[in-house]
Amino acid sequence: MENTETDLKIKNLKKQFGKNKVLNGIDFELKEGERVVILGPSGSGKSTFLRCINWMEEPTSGEIYFDGTLVTEKNIRKMRRNMGMVFQHFNLINNLTVMDNLILAPVKLKIMTREVAEKRAKELLRHIGLPNKAEAYPASLSGGQKQRIAIIRAMMLNPEVLLFDEPTSALDPEAIGDVLDLIRELADRGMTIMIVTHEMGFAREIATRIVFIDKGRIIEEGEPNTFFSHPKTDRVKEFLQKVL
Amino acid sequence: MNSFFEKIGELFSTPEYIDSLLHGFWLTIQISYFAILIGMILGAIIALIDTARPSKWLVIPKFICRVYTTIIRGTPMALQLFIMFFVIFAIKGFPSIIIAILAFGLNSAAYAAEVIRGGILSVDKGQTEAGLALGLSRTTIFFKIVAPQAIKNIIPALGNEVITVIKETAIVSMVGMYDLNMAAKDIGSGQNMASYIVPMFVAALFYLATIYLITFIVKRIEKSLRRSDLRAEE
Ligand SMILES: Nc1ncnc2c1ncn2[C@@H]1O[C@H](COP(=O)(O)OP(=O)(O)O)[C@@H](O)[C@H]1O
Ligand SMILES: [Mg+2]
Repeated sequence: MENTETDLKIKNLKKQFGKNKVLNGIDFELKEGERVVILGPSGSGKSTFLRCINWMEEPTSGEIYFDGTLVTEKNIRKMRRNMGMVFQHFNLINNLTVMDNLILAPVKLKIMTREVAEKRAKELLRHIGLPNKAEAYPASLSGGQKQRIAIIRAMMLNPEVLLFDEPTSALDPEAIGDVLDLIRELADRGMTIMIVTHEMGFAREIATRIVFIDKGRIIEEGEPNTFFSHPKTDRVKEFLQKVL
Repeated sequence: MNSFFEKIGELFSTPEYIDSLLHGFWLTIQISYFAILIGMILGAIIALIDTARPSKWLVIPKFICRVYTTIIRGTPMALQLFIMFFVIFAIKGFPSIIIAILAFGLNSAAYAAEVIRGGILSVDKGQTEAGLALGLSRTTIFFKIVAPQAIKNIIPALGNEVITVIKETAIVSMVGMYDLNMAAKDIGSGQNMASYIVPMFVAALFYLATIYLITFIVKRIEKSLRRSDLRAEE
C-alpha cells in the first residue's frame, strides 16, 4: 500500500491510571526515516503516549504494531531492542561505569561479544567527545554528559526508532545545545525519531511532522511549517501564542 | 572500689565462673548467629515477594507476608518466645536452643524484611526503566542494577538488626536457658559470689565487645560498597 515501510502503527490506544483516563484513543503511524515531534500542554499525556509504545506503561486497550507485528507482553522484550528510549532524567545506571552502561545490554542480550561492544562503545564515546569517561561513574558527570551518554547507550543496539521524552528539560542552557546537536546529527543520518520537547525552534527544524496532543487525543498534526504558521484549531493557536 | 577489684580478681581466678561465662556467651552467640541467618534468608524472601510486581500467583503469598510481618512486629518478642516454648513446641525433650533460634529467627525475619524492602524501594524507578527500555529481563535488572544499589541502603540498617538480635537474646533467661545474661545472674547469686555487680559488669563487656566488632565490620562493608560514590567525588 505504502512506498515507505511503516515502523509503527498504533490503533485506538487507550491508557488509564485507575479512574484517570490519560490516553483516549490514539491512532498513529510512523514511517521509516520520519521525525515526529510531539507537542502539547503539560499533563496532556505525551509521556504516557511514548511510554505505552515500548510498554513502560502497559496500554489499557488498543493495538501497537511494530514492523508489522502486534506488540504483546510476550514479545515486548525483543521489540524494545529495536526501539531505544532516552529519558528526561537520563537514567544512567548508577552502580555501573559509563563503559558498563554502554555494553550491558548488547553483551547480556548476546547481540555482541564483549570485545565488539567495547570497541563500539569507545568509538561512540570518542564521537561525542568523551573518550576519557569510559571508566567514570555517572555521579561524576554533568547533566549534558549524562544525556549524551544515554543517547549513545540507546544507539549501541542500532535501534530502528529512538523515543525521546523531553531529553533537554533537565539541562542547563549550555548542555541543551550539545544534546540537541547530537540528536540533530542522528536525524541527519536518517534515524527514525519520536521526540517530546519544549524546544520549539528545534522542533520546527528537525521535525518532518508535528503531532499535537491535548487531553489524551491527537487534535492536530501536520508538516511543521504549516503547523506553526497556519494552525487549524483554536487550541493549537492558543498553545503556540503562549510558547512562541 | 577496692572490693570491686577484689571481686574482679575473684571472678577471673575461679575457673567455674569463667567456664559459666564462656558457656553462656557461647549459647548467646549460637542463638544469635543462627537466628540472624534465618532472619536474613526468610526476610529476603519476604521482601522479594512483597516488592514483586502484582500478579495473580502472588496475591496469596503477598497477603501472607503482610499478615506475618504485622503480627511479628505488633507483639512483644518475649511473648513470641513464650508462645514458641509453651504452645508450639510444648514437646518434652525438644532441644530448647532450636526453639530459641526459631523464635528469634522468625522474629528477625519480619524486621529484616522491612529493611530489605525499604532498600529495594529506595532505588529510583528510572534505574529499572533504563534496564527495561534496553530489553533486559527483570531478573537481570534485579541482580545487575537494583540489588547492588539497594544493598548500599540495606547494610547499615541490617547491621542494626544484627545488634538488636544479639541483645534481645538475653531474654532466653526467662525460659531458663543458660545464656550470657543468665550466667551473670548465676555467678552473682547467693551460693556463688553473692554480688551481682562484677559478673554483670563483665557480661556487659562481652556484649559490648561483640557489638563493637559487628559495628566495625558493618562500617568496613559500607565503605567498600560506596566505591561508585567515592569515585564521583574525585
Ligand atoms: N504512573 C502513573 N500513575 C498514575 N498517573 C500517571 C502516571 N503517569 C502519568 N500519570 C498521569 O497521566 C497524566 C498525563 O501525564 P503525562 O503523560 O506525564 O503528561 P505529559 O507528559 O504530557 O506532561 C497526568 O495526569 C499524570 O498525573
Ligand atoms: Mg511528560
